Amino acid sequence: MKIEVKNITKSFGEKEVLKGISFETEDKKALGLLGRNGAGKTTTIRIIMGVFYQDSGEILIDGKKIDRSKIQIGYLPEERGLYPKQKIGEQLSYFGMLRGLTKQQSREAVNKWLDRMGMSQYKDKKLETLSKGNQQKIQLAATLLCEPELVILDEPFSGLDPVNAMLLKDVITENIEGGAAVIFSSHQMNYIEEFCNDICILNSGKIAVGGNINDIKRSYPRDTVNIFSQDPESISSFIIRSYSDNIVSADTDAKYSCVTVKLKEAAMKDRLLSMLLENNFDFDGFRVKEPSLNDIFVQYTEGGI
Amino acid sequence: MRNFFNILKFEYLTCIRNKAFIIITVFLVCGSLLFSFLPGIITSIVSDEQMSEDDNTQNVIAVKTSDYSENLVISELSPYYPTFEIRIVNEDRNVIEKKVNDSEYQFAIDINSPVSFVYITKNNSLYSMDENLIMNAVQNMFTISEFEKKGLSEEEIKGIIQTGFASETITTGTDQAKNYLPVYLLMCVLFVAITSYGQLVTQSVVSEKNTRAMELLITCAKPSQLMFGKVIGAGLAGLTQLALIFISLVISMNFSPADAIPAEIRDFINFPVETLLMALLFFLLGYFIYAFLLGALASFASKSEDLNGLITPVLFVLMGVYFVVVFMCSGDMIDSTAMTVLSYIPFSAPMAMFVRATLLDVPIWEILISVALQTITVYLFGLLAAAIYKIGVLMYGNPPKPVEIFKMLRNKN
Repeated sequence: MKIEVKNITKSFGEKEVLKGISFETEDKKALGLLGRNGAGKTTTIRIIMGVFYQDSGEILIDGKKIDRSKIQIGYLPEERGLYPKQKIGEQLSYFGMLRGLTKQQSREAVNKWLDRMGMSQYKDKKLETLSKGNQQKIQLAATLLCEPELVILDEPFSGLDPVNAMLLKDVITENIEGGAAVIFSSHQMNYIEEFCNDICILNSGKIAVGGNINDIKRSYPRDTVNIFSQDPESISSFIIRSYSDNIVSADTDAKYSCVTVKLKEAAMKDRLLSMLLENNFDFDGFRVKEPSLNDIFVQYTEGGI
Repeated sequence: MRNFFNILKFEYLTCIRNKAFIIITVFLVCGSLLFSFLPGIITSIVSDEQMSEDDNTQNVIAVKTSDYSENLVISELSPYYPTFEIRIVNEDRNVIEKKVNDSEYQFAIDINSPVSFVYITKNNSLYSMDENLIMNAVQNMFTISEFEKKGLSEEEIKGIIQTGFASETITTGTDQAKNYLPVYLLMCVLFVAITSYGQLVTQSVVSEKNTRAMELLITCAKPSQLMFGKVIGAGLAGLTQLALIFISLVISMNFSPADAIPAEIRDFINFPVETLLMALLFFLLGYFIYAFLLGALASFASKSEDLNGLITPVLFVLMGVYFVVVFMCSGDMIDSTAMTVLSYIPFSAPMAMFVRATLLDVPIWEILISVALQTITVYLFGLLAAAIYKIGVLMYGNPPKPVEIFKMLRNKN
C-alpha cells in the first residue's frame, strides 16, 4: 500500500496553515513527520484522518483517492484521549466498534492487545487508576486495536520510562514489519532515527526538507572527520602542526576522546588518514562526521514559525 | 449508521450509570412510591400537632349578642363547630379579647347588630374559613328571625333555607377547569426535564473535550453521528428516568389503601392519557431543539467553568418561555393571539402548543403544523449543531463570541 499526500493546502480564516505539502510512504516503512510546534503537523494528520478537508491537493492510496471507509487508520493523538472514568475493557471495545469491528471482534482484539501490553489485569479497572505510562500503553492498544494499515503516532514516547519505551518500540517495530505504514511525529529525534526510513520536516506550513534520512545526511559536504583516540591532544597537536594548510579547524573533545577536524576539501581526508597511520598514532576510529537529525532539524526550522 | 447506534448505546449507558443520575432516580422513585402514603402521614402529623395545641385551649366559642336567642345561636353555629361548646357571654369586648388572647376561648363572636358581627381570634390562619362560616350562621339567624316575625314556623323556615340545589356543567370542548392543574404540573415537568436532560448532553460534550477523548472520537465517527448519538442517548436516559418515576407513581396509586389519597389529589394527578401523550410528544420536540443548541454551544467550552457562560443565554430563553406561558395561563390568556403565535415559534411551541392543545379545543391541523415546524427545526438544529460541534470540539482556549462562531460556520461553507 502506498500513501501519497500531494500538494495539500489548508487555511483557517485568513491564516494559511499548509502551503502545498507533499510526501509519500508505503507499507513496512515509517515516515518521520517533523516540525516545530505550530508548523502544521497536526493539521496534516487531521486532514489525512478526514477530520478536516484540504482546500486543495489530494491524498492517494495506491494511486486512488483515499476512501477512509476502506482502510483502517490507527491514530495515537499527542493529547492522549480516553475516558478516565470508564472501565478500560469497555472503552477499548467501544473504540474498536467505532473503527468498524463487530462486538465479538472488538472483544477479542481488546483481550489480545491488553495481553500484548501486559495490561490484562486492568481490563475492569477505570483508566484514571493507572499510572501515566500504563495509560499510554492503553492508548497505544486503542490505536492498534483494529490492526490498522496506516498508523499515525503523535509523540508516542512522551512520558514513558525506559522499560515501557522498550515495550512500545517492540510493538511499533512489529507493526511496521507486519506490513503497516507508519507516520511518526515526534520531537525525540533518536526515536525518529531508530524507526524511520524517510523524514519530512515542515516549517511554516511548507516542506523544508524531505526524503530518505541517509540521502539527506549524505547530501551534506563530507569534509569533517571524527578521530577517536585515548590521546586526542597529541593527535590534535600533530594535525595542527603538520597538516595546517589543508584544515579549517581541529578541535579536541576530551569528554568523548575525540578530535573533530574540518578539512578544506572532502578529498583530503584520505591523506590525513595515511599521515596518522604512517606516524603510528594509536586511534580507535576514524569516520566522516555526518550531521545528526537534530542538526538538520535545527538548520531547517530555525527562524520559522 | 452502526457507529450512530454504538455512540447512542455508549452515551445512554454512561448517563444511566452516572452516580448523580442514579441517586436522583432512586430518590425520585422512592418519593413516588411513598407518594400515596404522604397525605396520610402529613395529616396524622398535622392533626397530632393540632391535638397537642388543642389540649392547651378551651374548646369554647364565646358569642356576645343581644339580637338573637341562645337557642338560635347554638342551633346555627353548632353544625359548623360540632366539637365546640358555644357559650353566650355578656362580657366587655376588652375582657373577651383578653380571654381569646389567653386561649381561654378558641375564638369569639360579637354580634353587635342583627346584620353585623366582629370575629375575634388570636391567630388568623391564611387558610381559616371561620369568618365565612360565621357569616353563613349569622345570615341564617337573621333570615330565621325575620321569617319568625312574619309568622312562619321554625320547620317551614328551615325547609326553605335548607333546600339543596343541584348543578352540573356540560363541556362541549375542553374542560379548562378540570385540566388546568394537571397541565400546569406537566408543564413544570416539561421545563425541568428539558433543562436537566439538556445539561446531560452539555456535560458529556465538555467532559469528552476536557479529557481529550474527543481527539480520538472525532477521527472514528462523523460529528453528526456523535451529536445525534449524544442527544438521543441522553434523551433516552431521561425518558427511562421519567418512565421509572411514572411507573412508581402508578404502582403507588394502585396499591395504596383507597382512602390514603384524598379524592381531590387523586383527581388532580389522574392525567387523561391524551394529555400524557401530548406531554411526551412536546417533551421530545422541546428536548431535541434545546439539547442540540446546548450541545453545540458546549463544544466551545474547554473546561466546565466555561460552560455556564455559553449555555446561560439558551437556558434564559427556555426559562423566559416557561414564565410567559405560565403568565398567559394564570391571566386567562390561553386563547389570545400572543399565545397562538407562541405556539408556532419552535422555541416556545413545545410549551405553548402543549397548553393550548390540552386546555383549548384547538383544530388538529394547528397542532400538526406546529409539530411539523418543530420537527423541521429539530432536523435543521441537528445539522447546525453537528457543524458547530465539528468546529468547536477542536478549539481550545477562550470560547468564541457568537459573531465569531457565525464567521467560522460561513468560512466552513
